[in-house]
Amino acid sequence: MGYASYKYLLIFLGSVLFFYTVMPRRFKWTVLLAASYGFYWISSGRLAVFLIAATTAVYLGGILLDKIGETAALGKKGLEKEEKKQLKSLISFQKKAVAALTLCIIFGMLLVIKYSGFFANLFNRAAAFSGVDVSLPVFSFVMPLGISYYTLQAAGYLIDVYRGKYRASYNFGKVALFLSFFPQIVQGPIGRFDRLADPLYEGHRFSYENVTAGLQLICWGLFKKMVIADRLNIFVADVFGNYTERSGSLILAAGALYTLQIYAEFSACMDIVTGSAQLFSVELDKNFERPFFSKSVSEFWRRWHITLGAWLKDYVFYPLSFSPAFMGLGRFTKKHFGEYAGSMVPATLALFFTWVLIGFWHGAGLRFIVYGMYYYAFMVAGMWLEPLIARAFSVSRIKRDCLPLNIIRMFRTAAIVVGGMMLFRAGSVTEWTEMIRRIFTDFGSSEFMQAVVGCGMDIHDFYIVGIGAAAMLAVSILQEKGINIRESVARQYLPVRWAAYAGLILAIVVFGAYGTGYDAVDFIYAQF
Amino acid sequence: MERIIKVLNEINPTVNWEKETDLIGNRILDSLRIVQLVGALNDEFDIKITPMDVVPENFCSAEAIARLVGRLEDE
Repeated sequence: MGYASYKYLLIFLGSVLFFYTVMPRRFKWTVLLAASYGFYWISSGRLAVFLIAATTAVYLGGILLDKIGETAALGKKGLEKEEKKQLKSLISFQKKAVAALTLCIIFGMLLVIKYSGFFANLFNRAAAFSGVDVSLPVFSFVMPLGISYYTLQAAGYLIDVYRGKYRASYNFGKVALFLSFFPQIVQGPIGRFDRLADPLYEGHRFSYENVTAGLQLICWGLFKKMVIADRLNIFVADVFGNYTERSGSLILAAGALYTLQIYAEFSACMDIVTGSAQLFSVELDKNFERPFFSKSVSEFWRRWHITLGAWLKDYVFYPLSFSPAFMGLGRFTKKHFGEYAGSMVPATLALFFTWVLIGFWHGAGLRFIVYGMYYYAFMVAGMWLEPLIARAFSVSRIKRDCLPLNIIRMFRTAAIVVGGMMLFRAGSVTEWTEMIRRIFTDFGSSEFMQAVVGCGMDIHDFYIVGIGAAAMLAVSILQEKGINIRESVARQYLPVRWAAYAGLILAIVVFGAYGTGYDAVDFIYAQF
Repeated sequence: MERIIKVLNEINPTVNWEKETDLIGNRILDSLRIVQLVGALNDEFDIKITPMDVVPENFCSAEAIARLVGRLEDE
């Protein structure tokens, strides 16, 4: 049941909102939990067992950690300093063991289901290459819906309890709802227990403002998905599927349009799920902040898939950077290679592992690791060259922060992102390098205009996409200036307001890509 | 406080550290600078800053950083 389907929007979401509204406040969370598991069952059937297993593991792991902490607090009383130290060390060991075991269980499931085939293949290739006659069986599992998302959410909860950020929840229903909440289970945003669990569990009265604001967001999401993303898919699929027969200019156009497609689609999904949650007065974390206004690759990744980046920063990047090993390496480098290198090494190394994980999270394959390394290379180059760039600006007396240069920086960042998205969309690294080669050696710009309309989209499709993208750009510019569009519309007179809503719905109905000749396209980020 | 400002100046001497009150929001301290700063503070004050301490409240100003260092020194 896709988020853009009428089954979800009209039947499922409508029914859940009805039952949520009529249910007494203290039981409202049960409606959300039943709906979430119902949604999961419809989409994934028996694979729900993995979600239940992960929920049970972190629920029990959290309680165990809490109990160990309680025992330690009671046991400390009346002890001598040395005895306290010993107890502290024992408690620390027990907590680490519980946290490690629980994380092994939940990440173990993810590893086996998503990555075992990749590793078995890798092992078999290595064995064949070195002439060893051993081969591992290669299993292919059906992926449980949203496993890459709920595993990170579950791990975040457990690590926070381990770190003492908050106490574990003894309410299984609350933990289960936090991990399964239907709007976010498929594509995130990756929620945090301290921000999301209470609003989900508390229960809220029907709010006209939240329901209308939620519906507006859903409509805007549908517009981006159906008018822009799904229409572009025809052209993108054609060029990427037949890139050997296409000129470099067409491949470049497909790369740029795929970037627009994936942004329109992923942000559309976030609008639909955020709007869905808002119907129940639940606010989800933001996942996008107009990424194409970014002036550097690192800024892009602070604005794109924000909750994934924030999760990795909190649970991978900082812990690695602050670890004794990395800090020690920094001191060693400082001593032997100077102050600057010493201060850069821990972050550079931690960033490497973070980007390997980002790549790997997106899929089990060499292409995804190269995808991670692609961005890592640009980011690290930016970090290390920063003093040199600052010096160049200082010597040349050119103002660093000025509009023309910022516009150039935005285009440069967009060009790098298009290159990355092409790798993401290509079938393999070899295909990607061949596409890049064709862009530089067989551009074929003279026949571009004739060829571009021969790839599944006619000139009217391009007009519609162009108008849709212009609308998206206008909205982004207003948002970038701090204008809340939904609030601005809500302040207008009733006829103006309803004309705006009707116009948006009409645009989806008239210009949406559906019906004969169009396939309903699954959300790309739902494949993880 | 003087020692904190000295460490901060080593990270970036062009910032008026005593006046800035939103170091995180204004992106003066991004994640790279935080890692550099944490390494320098750990060495200078013989403390151990953990990922849990990296919240805007502890790094929004030189004063907040001084409070964090003071708390960790007492522990």
